[in-house]
Amino acid sequence: MPDDTLRRVVVTGLGAVSSVGIGADAFAAAIRAGTTGTGPITSFDTSGFPHVMAGEVRDFDPDALLENLSPDQWGRSSLLGAAAARQAVVDADLDPELLARSRAGSIMGTTGGESTVLQQLTEQWVHQGLKSIDPHIVAQAPASQIANAVNSELGLTGDAQTVPTACSASNFALGYAYDLVRTGEADIMLAGGADAVNRATHAGFFQLGALAEHTCRPFDANRSGILTGEGGVALLLEPLEHALARGARIYAELLGYGVNCDARHMVNPDSTSIAACIRRAHRSAGVGPEQIDYICAHGTGTPTNDATEVRAVREVFGDRLPPISSIKSMIGHTMGAASGFGALICCKALQDGFLPPTANVARVDQRLGPGVDCVPGSSRPAHLSVVQNHGFAFGGNNAITILGRVA
Amino acid sequence: MSTAVAVRPLAVTGCGVVSPAGLGLDRLGHLLHAAVPGNAEPAGDDAADFPPGPLRAVPEFRLADHLGRKGTKNLDRMTALGLIATKLALEQAGAELTAEERDATGVALGTSTGSIRSASAVSRDTLVQERPYQVNPSQFPNTVMNSCAGQLAIWNSLRGVNATLAGGQLSSLFAMRYARVAISQGNAARLVVGGIEELSPQYAWAWHRAGALTPGTALGEGCAVFVVEDAAGLAADRPVLAEVLACEVGFYGATRRPGRTEGLALSVRRALDRSGVAPEQVDAVSLGATSYSALNRVEQRALRAVLGALPAQVSVHDVVGECYSASGAMQLAALLAHWQRVPAPRPRTALVTSVGLDGNVGALVVREGRGGRPD
Repeated sequence: MPDDTLRRVVVTGLGAVSSVGIGADAFAAAIRAGTTGTGPITSFDTSGFPHVMAGEVRDFDPDALLENLSPDQWGRSSLLGAAAARQAVVDADLDPELLARSRAGSIMGTTGGESTVLQQLTEQWVHQGLKSIDPHIVAQAPASQIANAVNSELGLTGDAQTVPTACSASNFALGYAYDLVRTGEADIMLAGGADAVNRATHAGFFQLGALAEHTCRPFDANRSGILTGEGGVALLLEPLEHALARGARIYAELLGYGVNCDARHMVNPDSTSIAACIRRAHRSAGVGPEQIDYICAHGTGTPTNDATEVRAVREVFGDRLPPISSIKSMIGHTMGAASGFGALICCKALQDGFLPPTANVARVDQRLGPGVDCVPGSSRPAHLSVVQNHGFAFGGNNAITILGRVA
Repeated sequence: MSTAVAVRPLAVTGCGVVSPAGLGLDRLGHLLHAAVPGNAEPAGDDAADFPPGPLRAVPEFRLADHLGRKGTKNLDRMTALGLIATKLALEQAGAELTAEERDATGVALGTSTGSIRSASAVSRDTLVQERPYQVNPSQFPNTVMNSCAGQLAIWNSLRGVNATLAGGQLSSLFAMRYARVAISQGNAARLVVGGIEELSPQYAWAWHRAGALTPGTALGEGCAVFVVEDAAGLAADRPVLAEVLACEVGFYGATRRPGRTEGLALSVRRALDRSGVAPEQVDAVSLGATSYSALNRVEQRALRAVLGALPAQVSVHDVVGECYSASGAMQLAALLAHWQRVPAPRPRTALVTSVGLDGNVGALVVREGRGGRPD
């Protein structure tokens, strides 16, 4: 149960740089409409790849979105993350000067870190030898640059920590940032994630047999895998009292979170362990399964993930499954940013009263069992009070956040 | 808005080190005491591909000697370093954990890049294989940065929170800070926490080309991990190597005010305050920035600003080389090794400080365990 000596934490700012829109409003409107942002890859040469689709942010213009960072000094993931963080601060209507003087920082999740920088360095290695790699981009390679970019863009002097806990990393970041704010270690935190489409990730998922050819269709009988995706996402967290005192718009309260580790297999998910993580999240938030109005699924669209995820949800919820949908059907698997986009759409869904859809569903997989409402097609109006956001990852890393209306 | 509250100490009940000094804390202590650098010769097929310049490499080892042969085929070398260090740490922490204890035991590991060797090998395969997708699917999971932490969990059935923290030179301190928050919030009862770095030609050339190190500085590698538990909840008969008190960090990017010197001084001051330790009670400082002359000056100035005259200084990099993400963990291990080797009549208190090239700074306060018991 929540401890009342700790501060309540709310989300008051949202930022999104995605394949379906730049800015949280554009992103949410596209998701609501069931718009798909995936298409043929343009960021690297796909010659020789049997599958060539991904969710790229093609119109990303860092110069237009960033006030302080020089785009030539940072890798793509850092720029995506910092741009989303800048948007979140603007959206929260926080005075940037006040923010910079606050005990404020960032926790940013990622899977591949600066994967496109590594890709460039590898190209130089292969074509010219290690002794010719470009020192200018070496400094951009550590994954830690993502949170550093956020703090640099916003002038923050608090924690700048990147959590490379793979595909649940944004939820992990949100949980950590929530702890820092509610315990008073920090007053304002940006939390989210960033990743970039790159050749190695694309090849790796193809070799695992997890990459769809054309379309990502989670929960569909004919689903065939993920499409890789990219983007940057950030949520601004502050104490409830602070938000109320400054008259901020409050999207949602971060009620709690659960994290655990399967500790069995690097890539195969485990429904028992996921169910245990859901229970941890409920306990942390002080809610029961009957209170959950919607689940934003991990929903990668691989046969295994969706079956395992629904099995885990059944283990906790019994026969009454809340609507459960996957926005990966539209933006692909944005890796370390994925659960951040999930959290963001949960905030918008709570605020604006809708169920986010699963696109591309022709026929719901009967093998998932009865009562799976994946909100096929486009969104439906719904009054939501408490929602649950899933993130699972390589390494058996499960992280689940619970968001709710401020009561 | 908020004020820093006093922190709950973390008891260090086990320590495992795999370093250029060899395996274990004793080896590290021995070389530190004798002022002898660790092993300088990298092993392996690519040993000839390193750039010119001094190296400190973990002496050649066989993972199978430590874990048996079964299931180790696809593990990369970074993971091997982590697995051996974790085995040593858990053994020292005492009795075999029960299944229930493993549910509440997690990992917090500092690394800024994961295994550069593994990630760049897969990336290279997309360019040099006949077809660009012909990467080795069994190697692909090694390329995610939480691969090592995930394997530590798998091999030791640690089902609690599994964290990987990236923060350049600060990575290990970030992991310790994470551990403190996670344990204080009840997200874990016990964590294996530390930092890891792996030498490879790709990694070494990156440093060489960047030219950031003071000329002549050896590039190092290794893994140091600690088993940490809530000191208040510990049985009185459990041996405690040390207590980690506060761990404070901040980001002071290169061009901003206040700069890194003021930032580090602030972190040190806050860490001491939150630990209830006065500047004059600090017996030793385990230095972090000795490999970079500009940062070395920042560290020295900040410490003088807070402590006045500097107490005894420990420089673990002299033995293990510059260990980047593993630096903070190696610095802490060096203090434990020193304390173990040179007993004192009363528990000592020390600072671990860190300054990153990227603008991150931090300080950790650690107190020697009292006669094998928490107080």
